[in-house]
Amino acid sequence: MSAVLRRRPAVAIAKYAALAGYLAFALFPLYWLIKIAITPDALIYTEGTQLLPSSVTFDNFAKVILQTDFMAYFGNSLYVSLGTAAVTTLVAAAAGYAFSRFDFAGKKLLIAVMLITQMFPLLMIIAPIYKIISQMGMLNSLTSLIVVYTAFNIPFATFLMQSFFDGIPKDLEEAAMMDGCSRFQALYKVVFPLTLPGLGATLGFVFTAAWSELLFALMLISKNDAMTFPVGLLTFVSKFSVDWGQMMAAGVLALVPSCLFFIFIQRYLVQGLTSGAVKG
Amino acid sequence: MKHLLKGIAAAGMLMGSTAYADTTLKLVEVITSPERTETLQALVDEYEAANDGVTVEIVSLPWGSAFEKLATMVAGGDVPDIVEMPERWAALYAGSGQLAALDEQVAGWEHGSTLTEKTVQMGTQTGAMHMLPYGFYLRAMFYNKKLLAEAGVETPPATMEEFKAASAAVSELDGKSGYCLRGGPGGLNAWVMMAAAMNGTNEFFTEDGKSRMNEPGSVAGLQFLIDMYQDGNAPKDSVSWGFNEIVAGFYSGTCAFLDQDPDALIAVAERMPAEDFAVVPMPVGPSGKAFPTIGYVGWSMFAASEHKDEAFDLIAHLSSPEANATWTKRVGVIPIHKGADQDPYFQTEQFKGWFDTLNGSQYVPTLMPAYLEQFGYFADSIALDSSQEALLGQRTAQDIADEWADFLTQEYANWKAAQ
Amino acid sequence: MIARATKTVVPRKPRARRSLYLQYLVEPFAYLSPAIVLIGTVILIPLIIGISYSFQSIELLRPFNSGWVGFENYLALWTDKKFWIALENTFFWTFWSVVLQFLLGLGLALLLNTRFWGKRLFQALVFLPWAVPTFLSALTWAWLFNPVIGPLPHWLASLGILSEPDNILGDPELAIWGPILANIWFGVPFFAITLLAALQSIPGELYEAAEIDGASGWQSFCKITLPFLAPMIAITVMLRTIWIANFADLIYVMTGGGPANSTQILSTYIFTTAFRKLDFGYASTIAVALLLILLVYSGIVLWLRKKLIKI
Repeated sequence: MSAVLRRRPAVAIAKYAALAGYLAFALFPLYWLIKIAITPDALIYTEGTQLLPSSVTFDNFAKVILQTDFMAYFGNSLYVSLGTAAVTTLVAAAAGYAFSRFDFAGKKLLIAVMLITQMFPLLMIIAPIYKIISQMGMLNSLTSLIVVYTAFNIPFATFLMQSFFDGIPKDLEEAAMMDGCSRFQALYKVVFPLTLPGLGATLGFVFTAAWSELLFALMLISKNDAMTFPVGLLTFVSKFSVDWGQMMAAGVLALVPSCLFFIFIQRYLVQGLTSGAVKG
Repeated sequence: MKHLLKGIAAAGMLMGSTAYADTTLKLVEVITSPERTETLQALVDEYEAANDGVTVEIVSLPWGSAFEKLATMVAGGDVPDIVEMPERWAALYAGSGQLAALDEQVAGWEHGSTLTEKTVQMGTQTGAMHMLPYGFYLRAMFYNKKLLAEAGVETPPATMEEFKAASAAVSELDGKSGYCLRGGPGGLNAWVMMAAAMNGTNEFFTEDGKSRMNEPGSVAGLQFLIDMYQDGNAPKDSVSWGFNEIVAGFYSGTCAFLDQDPDALIAVAERMPAEDFAVVPMPVGPSGKAFPTIGYVGWSMFAASEHKDEAFDLIAHLSSPEANATWTKRVGVIPIHKGADQDPYFQTEQFKGWFDTLNGSQYVPTLMPAYLEQFGYFADSIALDSSQEALLGQRTAQDIADEWADFLTQEYANWKAAQ
Repeated sequence: MIARATKTVVPRKPRARRSLYLQYLVEPFAYLSPAIVLIGTVILIPLIIGISYSFQSIELLRPFNSGWVGFENYLALWTDKKFWIALENTFFWTFWSVVLQFLLGLGLALLLNTRFWGKRLFQALVFLPWAVPTFLSALTWAWLFNPVIGPLPHWLASLGILSEPDNILGDPELAIWGPILANIWFGVPFFAITLLAALQSIPGELYEAAEIDGASGWQSFCKITLPFLAPMIAITVMLRTIWIANFADLIYVMTGGGPANSTQILSTYIFTTAFRKLDFGYASTIAVALLLILLVYSGIVLWLRKKLIKI
């Protein structure tokens, strides 16, 4: 397609205009978030609609980092999100592979059940889950969060992985298996490298889902030292006032790990392009 | 599998209890903010220092989801010993038999005799003393001095008519509005106050148990607020404003009048110079009276607590005159002990509006009928939706007044039946 | 495409000593077992309990005051005006959120599948909204729509879209577009990432062959790209629809279902019923109604997907 673009400058201009549009749409609200975080409290309302604040302060960041427990919440969130992403992707890759490569009794039923788990509002099952976890003595534990998050993310991650496996011709691994590889060897040597973009995307989704999950973290964790970051954000909204500056500063900080994570998995997302398997 | 895990958990608990033979109390704070938690922690530290062997674990719930979280905790069997209990929730928990009655302990308490009458009266609203209040909220009117001066309004309004006229005058200014109307969550207080002011009484029910919400006077009160909005005396988007929006609207200078409790003072005073605003009592209606709503929050003990004596000791410690003084100043509520209002902290001009309200015979503090079990649902859902419909002109004042009256009458009958 | 058309064919037996029994029954379940165990214990049991609430009269704080009521809750749904309003709003909210997210996401994925300067950075930046915690994005958007502290109403007014720079969240006619816009912002990266990953698994030779045959860009898009993306589109659109229909957070934070129920969707109504009215029985009934609607919808999408794949 790039050949087409090179031939027609109008198309190229339209393309860059579209890119700029997407960028502005994605970044403007984030810019506003940062703006509020660096605007001194006294100016938040008086200069509400100005694009640039007349003076800038980093107090909010300093307060969030030094005076609150946010760094601890960060650690907790990172632990939970990485743990969830790793476990979910492994489990889902196995399940997705089974769905993609086998026909077996109960397959449709399993798919239907997985879908149904996504259809019922979590609100209605939070009470039973709380009871079960409380009886197991696992309240206030980050491990329980990883288990719950993993369970809820498996269906989507499985469907995602299944589609990626579906996209990889069976002939490849079968050829490898004919050559004497075991299924695992075939998976590892042939299929795995091809699913890297899929694995990357899945890891990314599960990580961000766990990173910003609020309901379970709120309900299952009451102890301050096991709180995750989104619950910590809620504490800036008290009954009588909202500490906008600090909350937005904490929010900006929250974007950093996700950003880094995306840049990291990016290599795998664009891998298809660079490896030359696909031409743009 | 489950049994195995249960076994492990039980074993863990046994080991835990041999390792720490001490008592652990779980205290749940629901109206959380970092500063409050700090003050509470300091008070609790004092208690722990004085009571060897008792450890207090403070659980701070973010206010926005505190109700859901506490309900889930209690339903899930993870019941705390002590909880900070807003009046709104008290009937619900007391009604389902979850709260311990504190009457005897309070009677035997060294500071029990200095509690004001109102404190005892309100703590026992649910039939027994299911909570020891720690402070009161009382509604009064904040006003923006600068905006009033700009609009040519010389004195702050004392009557409903003056309030309307002053709001209209301020609304003439470019981009400004008169009243910071709370059309969204928590707006019921204003509707009730206006209805009561125009109806000349703060009784919610007649002797034979009928709600007075749809009496002509009350309907006129509802109409008053609807007119304020529809005539442009309140910002257009105030139909969905909640607490944070009205307070922000006030200190950003978008609107000039704000009816609020003393706790809003903290948020306003932080962002507005003290000379720019003042507080006066709520405007009086045609009867010459106003009925500012009064509310309270307190400490409750759960009936399921296994350490009732220690738990009450902690409540007593938190409610002692000294601790209560520290706490009420931090929280922005009116203290519970007699003579506490003599504290210089409350002698400022800022608090004048509330003490004028307390001392003026034309101001009758009004308690919301929070003893009705479904009152929270009424306030947060039924009244919220229908009042927005009325503000937007989709329904008439009479229509929503009838709906409210029907619901409240029914709830009142249920409550009577349960007594 | 051709390779995939035969996807349901049972794999050839690679080694004779593997018994068929092992291959068909045990092997897939060996891969699936961790997923089955986790979903079964963590979701399925609570889900069944949750659904059983709908046949009971149950209040969270009064565990002893409950009882079975049969279909009473379901009968109440028919006459509940608020339920029908919320249902209608749910359709509106879900439809526009999904359609706009999908179209914008597809566009972004196609752009990202080309070469351009600064692509890595661009990609990282446009995906960022997906990483913002919902609660924070809801507050940020509510802030942007507020004429006192946000620029959007003023821009909309000067573009002539709004007659006055008012907060659309306070206007019953327009309020729902606030959360929809926030949702689009938040959800475009989802479609872009999944579709991009799928785009990258399309063999490039196909495009080359098409170009040699003289196909236009639009033709190769319709003949190659779309059919290849179809399975992924079906899956992501279906899942996203299910999630969005269930997604109460943005609306709850931005408008609370108001003004005057104009943004009340089923999932916010469920929340109010469960945690304000504390009527878990009825809340669960609404949830089951939503579940049934989504089941029918998914059935249709899966059926369509099957048709599309076997072109």
